[in-house]
Amino acid sequence: MTLLGICIGIMAIIALMGIGEGMQQAITGELSSLSDTIVLSTGDISANAFGGGGFEHANNNEYLTERDIADIQRINGIKDVSTVLFSPGIITFNGESNSVSLVGIDELNMEKIFGIGVLGLESGDFIEEGKQNTCVIGYNVAHEYFDVDIELGNRVNINGKNFAVVGIYKKQGSGMSTETDDNIHITPRDFEKITGLSESSSAIIRIYDVTYADVIADEIETVVNENHGDDDFANAITMTSLIESIQQIISIAQVVLLSIASIALVVASIGIMNTMLTSVMERTREIGIMKAIGATNKDVLFIFIMEGILISIIGGFVGIALGIIGSRGLSTVLTRSFGGELTPVISTSSILLGIAVAVIVGMLSSLYPARKAAKMSPIEAVRYE
Amino acid sequence: MKDDIIVTKDLCKTYVLGKITVPALKPTSISIKRGDYISIVGPSGSGKSTFMNLLGCLDTPTSGNLIIEGTDVSKLNENQLAKIRREKIGFIFQKYNLIPTLNAIDNVALSMSFVGINLKTRLKRAEELLGLVDLSKRISHKPSELSGGEQQRVAIARALSNKPSIILADEPTGNVDTKSGDKIMNILEDINSQGETIIIVTHDLDIAKRANRNLYIHDGEVVEAAY
Ligand SMILES: Nc1ncnc2c1ncn2[C@@H]1O[C@H](COP(=O)(O)OP(=O)(O)OP(=O)(O)O)[C@@H](O)[C@H]1O
Ligand SMILES: [Mg+2]
Repeated sequence: MTLLGICIGIMAIIALMGIGEGMQQAITGELSSLSDTIVLSTGDISANAFGGGGFEHANNNEYLTERDIADIQRINGIKDVSTVLFSPGIITFNGESNSVSLVGIDELNMEKIFGIGVLGLESGDFIEEGKQNTCVIGYNVAHEYFDVDIELGNRVNINGKNFAVVGIYKKQGSGMSTETDDNIHITPRDFEKITGLSESSSAIIRIYDVTYADVIADEIETVVNENHGDDDFANAITMTSLIESIQQIISIAQVVLLSIASIALVVASIGIMNTMLTSVMERTREIGIMKAIGATNKDVLFIFIMEGILISIIGGFVGIALGIIGSRGLSTVLTRSFGGELTPVISTSSILLGIAVAVIVGMLSSLYPARKAAKMSPIEAVRYE
Repeated sequence: MKDDIIVTKDLCKTYVLGKITVPALKPTSISIKRGDYISIVGPSGSGKSTFMNLLGCLDTPTSGNLIIEGTDVSKLNENQLAKIRREKIGFIFQKYNLIPTLNAIDNVALSMSFVGINLKTRLKRAEELLGLVDLSKRISHKPSELSGGEQQRVAIARALSNKPSIILADEPTGNVDTKSGDKIMNILEDINSQGETIIIVTHDLDIAKRANRNLYIHDGEVVEAAY
């Protein structure tokens, strides 16, 4: 019972730290490759553009102009500016239809935004320059959306037009970047043909020095807002600020979860205290004997505190083991339900923390029983012969 | 001339139970020489254990002084008393008082751990002591696996472990048969012949007579007796 409390507490700590750390690594790992990126979008969209269905601006008529782009390019520290076209679309294959996010982007911009290494292709190639009616589809679009997997060379129907699939992206996971798994990439020309949209409401800007990201983002906003005479026209979001806010959310979650763990530990320590008190009572005679043969109060105190620590360390080790197993299990569940890859990171520091917590809990909760034991008189034990 | 190892000056213990006071030990002044072999006899409830517990620093006197090897222990605090107990006194109880969860050798080694002797030395010495009380074959037995006489011999080995200058035995043969009692007495007398001071409480006059000084307690009063 007492061991169980300690077990649960330590297990919670280990599992939470493991998963939290894993999440952080997954997210920062993904985002840091994009950390020199600033996303500019018009209208009052915010960071949630990265969540939900990608960049959708169906009922937004505010577009970036050529002049905006040119002005942005003049700002110091800008590497390049690429506009990206986004629109929801309908894909039909093998008689079934599904809604997807269409992205109009050419090879040059594709390179500039993502770099070739980031989004790997599972098969095929990116759309060749000038080739029409071809598309590259996301992993989920290829493998999840339809009963039959879409293969390279298959023809799909997008918004009523036929396209040949020339490439399929690798699984990207549920990262915070654009949700490529569920996207279809086509050329800007094709994009205009099927959606009628040629102007972009978003641009992806890359900069040279990440440390100036926030300054540059401010400057971009000012320039674009001035062009349109509207203080709230555009929004420039840096990836670093996004990473920070996500990390903040994760640490808040960790704090909340750790407090749950602490409650378990408080319950456990009350349990240990209780067990120890009972054991002190039962061992009155034994304690008396030890004192009669020369144990000082300190010796007795030490013996009982060590015993408390031992109990909780045993619980702690079981908890650590369960925590490792638990965090694996939990992350599999999370992966199943949210997609993406989440490998829990069980660091030595979290194991050490687990042990330290066990030792401290054991020590604190055995302090009172141990003091009680130490105060016992040696004759108590030997008197009633 | 041998020096006085224990001196009591008006040593006295009174229990207060509500309105009645029980003078368990009336003011007693005696001195005991190093190497003495003393027996204490007296009826039940006469104050023998009270006297022994005071001499063994398990209990504190109501008034009076107790001087052990020149130190007035009646003025010491709990911690200092514990140190006197483990360095100077070996206590043997009627009911053995071994730790039930520890085997014979660990019971003997336990008291040595309080004085900071390392484990290896402790176990080596505990084994020697168990050999001395003829229990070499029982070192890993738990108290529950030993006869009363054997348990008492483990207790003697334990009492000797820290090389005390005084052995106090409160009815050491009270719970064992005559044969075992004889063996225990022989061991104690062996120890005494090597210079150890021994004080033994007993109901058995034959045993009491073996000592070289006899005390008698009656209603908390200690007097010399001659058999
Ligand atoms: N803690 C105590 N509180 C009150 N009275 C006590 C206490 N301990 C002992 N006494 C009383 O002191 C007197 C002496 O007790 P003590 O145990 O010394 O006797 P004893 O000679 O050892 O007897 P026995 O031969 O039965 O062991 C008894 O009357 C006893 O009732
Ligand atoms: Mg008695």
